[in-house]
Amino acid sequence: MRDHIASKDFREGFVEMLPACIGLLPFGLVCGVGAAAAGANWLAALGMSAIIFSGAAQILAAQLVAADAPFAVIVLTCFVLGLRFLMYSAAMAPYLRPLPERMQKVLAFLLTDQAFAAAVRRFNASDDHHGAGMHFFGCGAALYLVWQVSCMVGFLAGNLIPSAWSLEFAVPLCFIALLAPLFRDAPSVAAAVTAGIAVLAMSHLPMRLNLIVAGVLGIVVGTLADLARERWKAR
Amino acid sequence: MEGALKLWAVILAVGALNYLSRLSFIALFARRSMPPLLARALKYVPAAMLTALILPMIVDFKGAAADFATPRVAAALIAAAVAFATRSTLKTLGAGMAALWLLQWVRG
Repeated sequence: MRDHIASKDFREGFVEMLPACIGLLPFGLVCGVGAAAAGANWLAALGMSAIIFSGAAQILAAQLVAADAPFAVIVLTCFVLGLRFLMYSAAMAPYLRPLPERMQKVLAFLLTDQAFAAAVRRFNASDDHHGAGMHFFGCGAALYLVWQVSCMVGFLAGNLIPSAWSLEFAVPLCFIALLAPLFRDAPSVAAAVTAGIAVLAMSHLPMRLNLIVAGVLGIVVGTLADLARERWKAR
Repeated sequence: MEGALKLWAVILAVGALNYLSRLSFIALFARRSMPPLLARALKYVPAAMLTALILPMIVDFKGAAADFATPRVAAALIAAAVAFATRSTLKTLGAGMAALWLLQWVRG
């Protein structure tokens, strides 16, 4: 493991990720504040960021716990939200196959939206799979460390941040940074527009069930649009 | 379920499911290729789920009707344009927060 961390690719990934980490600081703070609002003690707050390690799932779980939603609804909603990891996992798998199994299991744990976006660029640009794997390890390690610290600071000191700063707006902004570049692809636009209309139209549903329903509708419409595009191109 | 216990149950269950999803095609089904329809559908999970997640954080509700003429909506659109052009988290965040603060200040 020490050899991995000493490698040049690891350091490059670690350093390359730092600007994105700065962007995620406010997001981490908001997650820490959310954990406090859900009634977590410091250990549970650390558990959320260290074990779940997904800002979207942490925020959503914290909101649903605070709203006293049933356990099954919370877990199901977070699972549907986490389905995107299946796609990231499948996209990463061919690149990680040459690496040792233990390394694969560590890298899988560090798979996040931001690390995936950085890794795919590197894997596409380089034939050195081992080096690209270490680069990903560096990206993931930087994100993991910064994430734990920012969530903890948010948990401990969140109430010192003036509400006039609207820091919670950093959360949608971090996701917009991932979402907007997808709009180059027509079926993705169809999926997003469908999910967007549906989530607002069904906002009266209890326990954030509108999120799951809208997400699934968006996925179905995106898939159908993709199939239609393929058929149209084949004509 | 009692508060602290329920929170830990959520942390462990969501953490485990997240890790299994992350591990899925890297290790669990490494020898199996993904069914083509599933592969096609999963491509649209980020666009659909992220939109469904963030829109309620941006759009206000006045009773039953959504209010789109707010500083948050305008700031989100500006941030989306920056994200589309730059793909940078930091620039998106900077532009979005600056736009929000400016618009809130203008509105008084």
